[in-house]
Amino acid sequence: MILVIITNKQTINVVTLKITSAVNCVSPLGEAIKALCLYATGSECYALDVHRAVVEAVNNVILHAYSNQDGHDIIVEWNQEKDSLRIDITDYGLSMQTLPDPVLPEFDAESGRGWWIINSCLDEYYYKVVEYSQTNKFYKPNSDNGYSEEFMVKSHSNVLTLIKHF
Amino acid sequence: MILLEQKHNDINIVELSGRFAMADCSDVRERLKSLIDEGQGKLVIDMAKVSFIDSSACAVLISAFKGMQLKSGRLVLVTSSAVQSLIELTRLHTIFEISPSQVTALSAFDER
Repeated sequence: MILVIITNKQTINVVTLKITSAVNCVSPLGEAIKALCLYATGSECYALDVHRAVVEAVNNVILHAYSNQDGHDIIVEWNQEKDSLRIDITDYGLSMQTLPDPVLPEFDAESGRGWWIINSCLDEYYYKVVEYSQTNKFYKPNSDNGYSEEFMVKSHSNVLTLIKHF
Repeated sequence: MILLEQKHNDINIVELSGRFAMADCSDVRERLKSLIDEGQGKLVIDMAKVSFIDSSACAVLISAFKGMQLKSGRLVLVTSSAVQSLIELTRLHTIFEISPSQVTALSAFDER
């Protein structure tokens, strides 16, 4: 199921789609993104490029961030900006430590083409890990040291941003 | 995605239509493997009606290609514009034999 939230109904320039991490959700999501891109640009080529990049990126989230496990949220925010489209893909799974190089593997390799496709279809992309932390300061009566501190990373999100200029 | 099988003399033909993406790969891979294992080394994968493929689908095609090579067989692809553009983007057109239509793909087997 895809949950769609349209932020501004007068001019549709931000659309948020939410799916679960199931492989059968990727195609409908991709088609929705393609339709939005066609709406924004009227260009089949542009829409196909973005469609391809988003599908590869979401495939990676399911396979790697969520280890191919169903039931986890993937949020795709489509933003029409002045000179470009920006798509933010958010997950709450395993974070990447580095962005893979967008190189083609050996011709007979059965994996590893995703980042090449993403890189070829877009103008820019970047990845960030957002950590939500909590610092607790414990004050105890009659304590000489004032307080003790405990720092915890409570949760995180991973956001892959894809940008294609008009 | 819809998968249809047919045979033309000793040539197996698989026609795919719709979207060929990660969700479909497992079934297609399994079916192609059976056809390659049981067939006579001649396979056409007709994707003229495929509207979208991703890198997972490319992996299935490569697997089929390798399986055919092991049998000293021959695989010919028929592509739609969407399929062709991704195959060219990933430079796989340098290894796959591609025909513009099923008719020409079948004729190609007669020529050799």
